Amino acid sequence: MTEFLTAAVGFVLAMLALGLVSILRGPGDADRMMATQLIGTGGIAALLLLGTVADVPAAIDVALTLALLATFASIAFVKKGLPRFEADGTASTEGE
Amino acid sequence: MSIATVFEIVLAAVVLGLGIWTIVVRETFSATVGFVAYGLLVALIWVRLDAVDVALTEAAIGGGLGGVLLLGAAARLRDADVMAAETPGKVVRASAAALSVLTTAALAGAVLLLPDPAPTLAPAAVANAWATGLSNSVTNVLMAFRAMDTMLEKVVLLLAIIGVWSLAPDSAWGGRPGPRHQADPDGVLAFLARLLPPVGIVVGIYILWTGADHPGGAFQGGAILASMWLLTIIAGLADTPPVSRRWLRFILVAGPCLFLVVGLVGLLFGAAFLSYPPALAKPLILGIEVAMILTIAATLGLLLAGAPERSAKP
Repeated sequence: MTEFLTAAVGFVLAMLALGLVSILRGPGDADRMMATQLIGTGGIAALLLLGTVADVPAAIDVALTLALLATFASIAFVKKGLPRFEADGTASTEGE
Repeated sequence: MSIATVFEIVLAAVVLGLGIWTIVVRETFSATVGFVAYGLLVALIWVRLDAVDVALTEAAIGGGLGGVLLLGAAARLRDADVMAAETPGKVVRASAAALSVLTTAALAGAVLLLPDPAPTLAPAAVANAWATGLSNSVTNVLMAFRAMDTMLEKVVLLLAIIGVWSLAPDSAWGGRPGPRHQADPDGVLAFLARLLPPVGIVVGIYILWTGADHPGGAFQGGAILASMWLLTIIAGLADTPPVSRRWLRFILVAGPCLFLVVGLVGLLFGAAFLSYPPALAKPLILGIEVAMILTIAATLGLLLAGAPERSAKP
Protein backbone atom coordinates (compact mmCIF):
# COMPACT_ATOMS: atom_id res chain seq x y z
CA MET A 1 0.00 0.00 0.00
CA THR A 2 2.81 2.38 0.89
CA GLU A 3 4.44 1.80 -2.51
CA PHE A 4 1.17 2.63 -4.22
CA LEU A 5 0.74 5.82 -2.18
CA THR A 6 4.34 6.83 -2.84
CA ALA A 7 3.77 6.31 -6.55
CA ALA A 8 0.63 8.45 -6.24
CA VAL A 9 2.72 11.22 -4.63
CA GLY A 10 5.10 10.96 -7.56
CA PHE A 11 2.24 11.28 -10.03
CA VAL A 12 0.76 14.29 -8.24
CA LEU A 13 4.19 15.96 -8.08
CA ALA A 14 4.61 15.38 -11.82
CA MET A 15 1.25 17.11 -12.39
CA LEU A 16 2.44 19.96 -10.15
CA ALA A 17 5.52 20.34 -12.32
CA LEU A 18 3.27 20.49 -15.39
CA GLY A 19 1.26 23.23 -13.69
CA LEU A 20 4.53 25.10 -13.13
CA VAL A 21 5.30 24.92 -16.84
CA SER A 22 1.93 26.54 -17.39
CA ILE A 23 2.81 29.32 -14.93
CA LEU A 24 6.07 29.94 -16.74
CA ARG A 25 4.53 29.98 -20.21
CA GLY A 26 1.43 32.00 -19.46
CA PRO A 27 0.63 33.66 -21.82
CA GLY A 28 -2.04 35.63 -19.96
CA ASP A 29 -2.34 36.53 -16.27
CA ALA A 30 -5.54 34.49 -16.01
CA ASP A 31 -3.74 31.38 -17.32
CA ARG A 32 -1.08 31.82 -14.67
CA MET A 33 -3.68 32.26 -11.96
CA MET A 34 -5.51 29.10 -13.04
CA ALA A 35 -2.22 27.19 -12.98
CA THR A 36 -1.63 28.42 -9.42
CA GLN A 37 -5.05 27.09 -8.46
CA LEU A 38 -4.11 23.74 -10.00
CA ILE A 39 -0.89 23.74 -8.00
CA GLY A 40 -2.86 24.53 -4.84
CA THR A 41 -5.17 21.57 -5.43
CA GLY A 42 -2.24 19.31 -6.29
CA GLY A 43 -0.37 20.51 -3.22
CA ILE A 44 -3.34 19.57 -1.01
CA ALA A 45 -3.39 16.08 -2.56
CA ALA A 46 0.37 15.69 -2.16
CA LEU A 47 0.15 16.82 1.49
CA LEU A 48 -2.59 14.32 2.29
CA LEU A 49 -0.66 11.48 0.64
CA LEU A 50 2.65 12.52 2.22
CA GLY A 51 0.98 12.71 5.62
CA THR A 52 -0.27 9.16 5.23
CA VAL A 53 2.98 7.74 3.82
CA ALA A 54 5.28 9.44 6.32
CA ASP A 55 2.79 9.06 9.18
CA VAL A 56 2.51 12.79 9.93
CA PRO A 57 -1.16 13.24 10.88
CA ALA A 58 -0.72 17.01 11.26
CA ALA A 59 -0.13 17.27 7.50
CA ILE A 60 -3.92 16.97 7.22
CA ASP A 61 -4.25 20.26 9.14
CA VAL A 62 -1.87 21.92 6.70
CA ALA A 63 -3.93 20.55 3.80
CA LEU A 64 -7.09 21.88 5.48
CA THR A 65 -5.55 25.34 5.82
CA LEU A 66 -4.41 25.30 2.20
CA ALA A 67 -7.84 24.17 1.05
CA LEU A 68 -9.49 27.05 2.93
CA LEU A 69 -7.09 29.73 1.76
CA ALA A 70 -6.01 28.64 -1.73
CA THR A 71 -9.02 30.41 -3.24
CA PHE A 72 -8.01 33.76 -1.79
CA ALA A 73 -5.33 34.55 -4.33
CA SER A 74 -7.79 34.04 -7.19
CA ILE A 75 -10.46 36.13 -5.41
CA ALA A 76 -7.94 38.95 -5.06
CA PHE A 77 -7.01 38.43 -8.71
CA VAL A 78 -10.61 38.71 -9.88
CA LYS A 79 -11.28 41.76 -7.70
CA LYS A 80 -8.04 43.64 -8.30
CA GLY A 81 -6.36 42.29 -11.40
CA LEU A 82 -9.20 42.10 -13.87
CA PRO A 83 -10.91 45.55 -13.83
CA ARG A 84 -8.26 46.78 -16.23
CA PHE A 85 -9.36 44.37 -18.93
CA GLU A 86 -13.07 44.20 -18.39
CA ALA A 87 -15.15 47.33 -18.80
CA ASP A 88 -17.41 46.11 -16.03
CA GLY A 89 -19.80 48.57 -14.42
CA THR A 90 -19.11 47.45 -10.88
CA ALA A 91 -15.38 47.39 -11.43
CA SER A 92 -15.21 51.09 -12.25
CA THR A 93 -17.41 52.26 -9.37
CA GLU A 94 -15.53 50.37 -6.71
CA GLY A 95 -12.13 51.88 -7.60
CA GLU A 96 -10.33 54.00 -5.11
CA MET B 1 18.93 6.09 -3.33
CA SER B 2 15.35 5.55 -2.23
CA ILE B 3 12.37 6.79 -4.18
CA ALA B 4 11.57 9.32 -1.42
CA THR B 5 15.01 10.88 -1.87
CA VAL B 6 14.38 11.23 -5.60
CA PHE B 7 11.13 13.08 -4.84
CA GLU B 8 12.90 15.37 -2.43
CA ILE B 9 15.58 16.22 -4.98
CA VAL B 10 12.95 16.88 -7.66
CA LEU B 11 10.89 19.03 -5.29
CA ALA B 12 13.92 21.06 -4.25
CA ALA B 13 14.95 21.55 -7.89
CA VAL B 14 11.44 22.64 -8.86
CA VAL B 15 11.23 25.13 -5.97
CA LEU B 16 14.68 26.53 -6.77
CA GLY B 17 13.75 26.94 -10.43
CA LEU B 18 10.47 28.63 -9.57
CA GLY B 19 12.26 30.94 -7.12
CA ILE B 20 14.80 32.02 -9.74
CA TRP B 21 12.03 32.54 -12.31
CA THR B 22 10.07 34.65 -9.81
CA ILE B 23 13.08 36.91 -9.39
CA VAL B 24 14.07 37.31 -13.04
CA VAL B 25 10.61 37.60 -14.64
CA ARG B 26 9.94 41.19 -15.69
CA GLU B 27 6.21 41.50 -15.08
CA THR B 28 5.19 42.26 -11.49
CA PHE B 29 2.02 40.26 -11.86
CA SER B 30 3.68 37.09 -13.13
CA ALA B 31 6.26 37.33 -10.35
CA THR B 32 3.45 37.58 -7.78
CA VAL B 33 1.65 34.53 -9.13
CA GLY B 34 4.96 32.65 -9.17
CA PHE B 35 5.56 33.64 -5.55
CA VAL B 36 2.14 32.34 -4.46
CA ALA B 37 2.87 28.97 -6.11
CA TYR B 38 6.31 29.05 -4.50
CA GLY B 39 4.66 29.45 -1.07
CA LEU B 40 2.46 26.41 -1.69
CA LEU B 41 5.46 24.26 -2.64
CA VAL B 42 7.55 25.49 0.29
CA ALA B 43 4.74 24.35 2.61
CA LEU B 44 5.21 20.85 1.13
CA ILE B 45 8.93 21.01 1.87
CA TRP B 46 8.34 22.08 5.48
CA VAL B 47 6.08 19.06 6.00
CA ARG B 48 8.78 16.85 4.50
CA LEU B 49 11.26 18.36 6.98
CA ASP B 50 8.88 17.54 9.86
CA ALA B 51 8.39 21.24 10.62
CA VAL B 52 4.60 21.11 10.41
CA ASP B 53 4.14 24.27 12.52
CA VAL B 54 6.14 26.24 9.97
CA ALA B 55 4.23 24.57 7.11
CA LEU B 56 0.93 25.70 8.67
CA THR B 57 2.16 29.29 8.94
CA GLU B 58 3.47 29.20 5.38
CA ALA B 59 0.14 27.83 4.12
CA ALA B 60 -1.83 30.51 6.00
CA ILE B 61 0.42 33.48 5.23
CA GLY B 62 2.25 32.58 2.01
CA GLY B 63 -0.65 30.84 0.31
CA GLY B 64 -3.50 32.98 1.65
CA LEU B 65 -2.97 36.47 3.03
CA GLY B 66 0.42 37.17 1.41
CA GLY B 67 -0.98 36.39 -2.01
CA VAL B 68 -3.88 38.80 -1.50
CA LEU B 69 -1.53 41.56 -0.33
CA LEU B 70 0.97 41.09 -3.17
CA LEU B 71 -1.71 40.83 -5.87
CA GLY B 72 -3.27 44.06 -4.61
CA ALA B 73 0.13 45.75 -4.67
CA ALA B 74 0.82 44.45 -8.19
CA ALA B 75 -2.54 45.77 -9.41
CA ARG B 76 -1.77 49.22 -7.97
CA LEU B 77 1.72 49.24 -9.46
CA ARG B 78 0.31 48.32 -12.85
CA ASP B 79 -2.01 51.31 -12.67
CA ALA B 80 1.08 53.44 -12.15
CA ASP B 81 3.22 52.02 -14.95
CA VAL B 82 5.88 54.71 -14.51
CA MET B 83 7.46 52.55 -11.84
CA ALA B 84 8.35 49.85 -14.36
CA ALA B 85 9.46 52.32 -17.04
CA GLU B 86 12.31 53.66 -14.93
CA THR B 87 15.12 51.14 -15.28
CA PRO B 88 18.03 51.73 -12.93
CA GLY B 89 21.47 52.45 -14.37
CA LYS B 90 24.19 49.89 -14.93
CA VAL B 91 26.15 50.86 -11.82
CA VAL B 92 23.11 50.45 -9.57
CA ARG B 93 22.30 47.06 -11.05
CA ALA B 94 25.87 45.83 -10.83
CA SER B 95 26.19 46.90 -7.19
CA ALA B 96 22.81 45.34 -6.35
CA ALA B 97 23.96 42.07 -7.93
CA ALA B 98 27.29 42.23 -6.07
CA LEU B 99 25.49 42.89 -2.77
CA SER B 100 23.12 39.95 -3.37
CA VAL B 101 26.00 37.60 -4.22
CA LEU B 102 27.89 38.73 -1.11
CA THR B 103 24.84 38.14 1.12
CA THR B 104 24.28 34.70 -0.41
CA ALA B 105 27.95 33.81 0.04
CA ALA B 106 27.90 34.96 3.67
CA LEU B 107 24.74 32.92 4.37
CA ALA B 108 26.17 29.83 2.63
CA GLY B 109 29.42 30.23 4.54
CA ALA B 110 27.56 30.52 7.85
CA VAL B 111 25.59 27.34 7.10
CA LEU B 112 28.71 25.43 6.03
CA LEU B 113 30.71 26.58 9.06
CA LEU B 114 28.09 25.41 11.58
CA PRO B 115 29.56 22.93 14.07
CA ASP B 116 28.38 19.34 13.67
CA PRO B 117 26.15 18.57 15.51
CA ALA B 118 24.68 22.05 15.38
CA PRO B 119 24.08 23.68 18.78
CA THR B 120 20.49 23.08 19.82
CA LEU B 121 18.26 23.54 22.84
CA ALA B 122 15.60 21.24 21.44
CA PRO B 123 16.30 18.29 23.81
CA ALA B 124 16.11 20.65 26.81
CA ALA B 125 12.80 22.08 25.56
CA VAL B 126 11.33 18.60 25.09
CA ALA B 127 12.62 17.41 28.49
CA ASN B 128 10.96 20.32 30.31
CA ALA B 129 7.60 20.04 28.60
CA TRP B 130 6.02 18.82 31.86
CA ALA B 131 6.33 22.32 33.33
CA THR B 132 3.50 23.68 31.19
CA GLY B 133 1.27 20.66 30.60
CA LEU B 134 1.42 21.20 26.82
CA SER B 135 3.05 18.54 24.68
CA ASN B 136 3.71 20.60 21.54
CA SER B 137 7.25 21.80 22.12
CA VAL B 138 6.90 24.64 19.59
CA THR B 139 3.99 26.09 21.58
CA ASN B 140 5.99 25.54 24.76
CA VAL B 141 8.92 27.55 23.43
CA LEU B 142 6.69 30.29 21.99
CA MET B 143 4.36 30.70 24.95
CA ALA B 144 6.50 29.75 27.96
CA PHE B 145 10.25 29.34 27.49
CA ARG B 146 10.64 32.30 25.14
CA ALA B 147 7.35 34.03 25.88
CA MET B 148 9.14 37.39 25.94
CA ASP B 149 9.89 37.14 22.20
CA THR B 150 6.29 36.28 21.39
CA MET B 151 5.02 39.21 23.44
CA LEU B 152 7.35 41.64 21.68
CA GLU B 153 6.27 40.14 18.35
CA LYS B 154 2.68 41.09 19.14
CA VAL B 155 3.82 44.61 19.98
CA VAL B 156 5.52 44.69 16.56
CA LEU B 157 2.17 43.78 14.96
CA LEU B 158 0.64 46.73 16.79
CA LEU B 159 3.41 49.02 15.53
CA ALA B 160 2.80 47.74 11.99
CA ILE B 161 -0.88 48.66 12.12
CA ILE B 162 0.01 52.11 13.49
CA GLY B 163 2.42 52.48 10.57
CA VAL B 164 -0.28 51.60 8.05
CA TRP B 165 -2.81 53.92 9.67
CA SER B 166 -0.35 56.79 9.70
CA LEU B 167 -0.53 56.80 5.89
CA ALA B 168 -4.14 58.00 6.08
CA PRO B 169 -4.91 61.51 4.82
CA ASP B 170 -6.07 63.92 7.55
CA SER B 171 -9.62 64.06 6.19
CA ALA B 172 -10.05 60.29 6.47
CA TRP B 173 -8.46 59.86 9.89
CA GLY B 174 -10.63 57.67 12.09
CA GLY B 175 -12.59 56.51 9.05
CA ARG B 176 -13.02 53.17 7.37
CA PRO B 177 -10.01 51.46 5.75
CA GLY B 178 -10.01 50.50 2.11
CA PRO B 179 -12.67 50.97 -0.55
CA ARG B 180 -16.23 49.79 -0.03
CA HIS B 181 -16.42 46.57 -2.00
CA GLN B 182 -19.42 45.72 -4.08
CA ALA B 183 -20.34 42.41 -5.59
CA ASP B 184 -23.39 40.81 -7.09
CA PRO B 185 -25.40 39.67 -4.00
CA ASP B 186 -26.53 36.56 -5.89
CA GLY B 187 -23.13 35.97 -7.46
CA VAL B 188 -20.61 33.24 -6.80
CA LEU B 189 -18.37 35.46 -4.65
CA ALA B 190 -21.19 36.37 -2.24
CA PHE B 191 -22.17 32.71 -2.14
CA LEU B 192 -18.62 31.68 -1.24
CA ALA B 193 -18.49 34.43 1.40
CA ARG B 194 -21.59 32.94 3.01
CA LEU B 195 -20.47 29.32 2.69
CA LEU B 196 -16.81 29.45 3.71
CA PRO B 197 -16.60 31.61 6.89
CA PRO B 198 -18.56 29.23 9.17
CA VAL B 199 -16.21 26.40 8.16
CA GLY B 200 -13.19 28.70 8.38
CA ILE B 201 -14.06 29.96 11.86
CA VAL B 202 -14.36 26.37 13.13
CA VAL B 203 -11.03 25.43 11.52
CA GLY B 204 -9.35 28.57 12.92
CA ILE B 205 -10.46 27.79 16.46
CA TYR B 206 -9.52 24.13 15.97
CA ILE B 207 -5.98 25.13 14.88
CA LEU B 208 -5.68 27.27 18.02
CA TRP B 209 -6.96 24.50 20.29
CA THR B 210 -4.90 21.69 18.75
CA GLY B 211 -1.79 23.87 19.12
CA ALA B 212 -1.43 22.69 22.72
CA ASP B 213 -0.48 19.15 21.73
CA HIS B 214 -0.07 19.15 17.94
CA PRO B 215 1.19 21.64 15.35
CA GLY B 216 -0.96 24.76 15.35
CA GLY B 217 -1.38 27.86 17.45
CA ALA B 218 -2.75 31.35 17.77
CA PHE B 219 -0.92 32.87 14.80
CA GLN B 220 -2.04 30.29 12.26
CA GLY B 221 -5.58 30.27 13.64
CA GLY B 222 -5.64 34.07 13.67
CA ALA B 223 -4.51 34.19 10.05
CA ILE B 224 -7.38 31.89 9.06
CA LEU B 225 -9.92 34.00 10.98
CA ALA B 226 -8.53 37.17 9.37
CA SER B 227 -8.94 35.60 5.91
CA MET B 228 -12.58 34.77 6.64
CA TRP B 229 -13.23 38.34 7.80
CA LEU B 230 -11.57 39.70 4.66
CA LEU B 231 -13.64 37.40 2.49
CA THR B 232 -16.90 38.86 3.79
CA ILE B 233 -15.47 42.37 3.30
CA ILE B 234 -14.31 41.67 -0.27
CA ALA B 235 -17.71 40.16 -1.12
CA GLY B 236 -19.43 43.32 0.11
CA LEU B 237 -21.36 41.50 2.86
CA ALA B 238 -19.63 43.47 5.61
CA ASP B 239 -17.78 46.78 5.76
CA THR B 240 -14.49 47.56 7.46
CA PRO B 241 -15.08 49.20 10.84
CA PRO B 242 -13.97 52.83 11.36
CA VAL B 243 -10.55 52.70 13.00
CA SER B 244 -11.68 55.12 15.71
CA ARG B 245 -14.06 52.52 17.21
CA ARG B 246 -13.25 51.75 20.82
CA TRP B 247 -14.02 48.01 20.63
CA LEU B 248 -11.71 47.64 17.67
CA ARG B 249 -8.83 49.31 19.46
CA PHE B 250 -9.55 47.21 22.54
CA ILE B 251 -9.24 44.01 20.50
CA LEU B 252 -6.03 45.29 18.89
CA VAL B 253 -4.33 45.73 22.27
CA ALA B 254 -6.01 42.84 24.12
CA GLY B 255 -3.36 40.23 23.29
CA PRO B 256 -0.22 42.19 24.17
CA CYS B 257 -1.92 43.76 27.22
CA LEU B 258 -3.00 40.43 28.72
CA PHE B 259 0.48 39.09 28.03
CA LEU B 260 2.02 42.08 29.82
CA VAL B 261 -0.34 41.79 32.79
CA VAL B 262 0.42 38.09 33.22
CA GLY B 263 4.13 38.88 32.91
CA LEU B 264 3.99 41.61 35.58
CA VAL B 265 1.96 39.41 37.93
CA GLY B 266 4.69 36.78 37.49
CA LEU B 267 7.28 39.41 38.37
CA LEU B 268 5.42 40.54 41.51
CA PHE B 269 4.30 37.20 42.91
CA GLY B 270 6.40 34.62 41.10
CA ALA B 271 9.99 33.98 40.16
CA ALA B 272 10.46 36.28 37.19
CA PHE B 273 8.78 38.30 34.46
CA LEU B 274 6.40 36.02 32.55
CA SER B 275 6.91 33.07 34.91
CA TYR B 276 3.76 31.00 35.24
CA PRO B 277 2.97 29.01 38.39
CA PRO B 278 3.17 25.37 37.18
CA ALA B 279 -0.38 24.55 38.35
CA LEU B 280 -1.84 27.46 36.38
CA ALA B 281 0.49 27.32 33.39
CA LYS B 282 -1.90 25.71 30.95
CA PRO B 283 -4.99 27.86 31.73
CA LEU B 284 -2.84 31.01 31.63
CA ILE B 285 -1.27 30.08 28.29
CA LEU B 286 -4.68 29.23 26.84
CA GLY B 287 -6.12 32.51 28.09
CA ILE B 288 -3.29 34.49 26.52
CA GLU B 289 -3.68 32.55 23.28
CA VAL B 290 -7.42 33.25 23.10
CA ALA B 291 -6.80 36.98 23.52
CA MET B 292 -3.96 36.75 21.03
CA ILE B 293 -5.95 35.00 18.30
CA LEU B 294 -8.49 37.86 18.37
CA THR B 295 -5.72 40.46 18.28
CA ILE B 296 -3.89 38.67 15.46
CA ALA B 297 -7.06 38.18 13.40
CA ALA B 298 -8.05 41.85 13.77
CA THR B 299 -4.52 43.12 13.12
CA LEU B 300 -3.86 40.97 10.03
CA GLY B 301 -7.29 41.83 8.62
CA LEU B 302 -6.77 45.56 9.13
CA LEU B 303 -3.20 45.40 7.78
CA LEU B 304 -4.58 43.98 4.54
CA ALA B 305 -7.51 46.40 4.48
CA GLY B 306 -5.01 49.26 4.37
CA ALA B 307 -5.02 52.85 5.59
CA PRO B 308 -8.30 54.62 6.43
CA GLU B 309 -9.65 56.09 3.19
CA ARG B 310 -13.24 57.08 3.88
CA SER B 311 -14.25 59.57 6.50
CA ALA B 312 -16.34 58.15 9.33
CA LYS B 313 -18.73 61.08 9.06
CA PRO B 314 -21.12 60.91 6.10
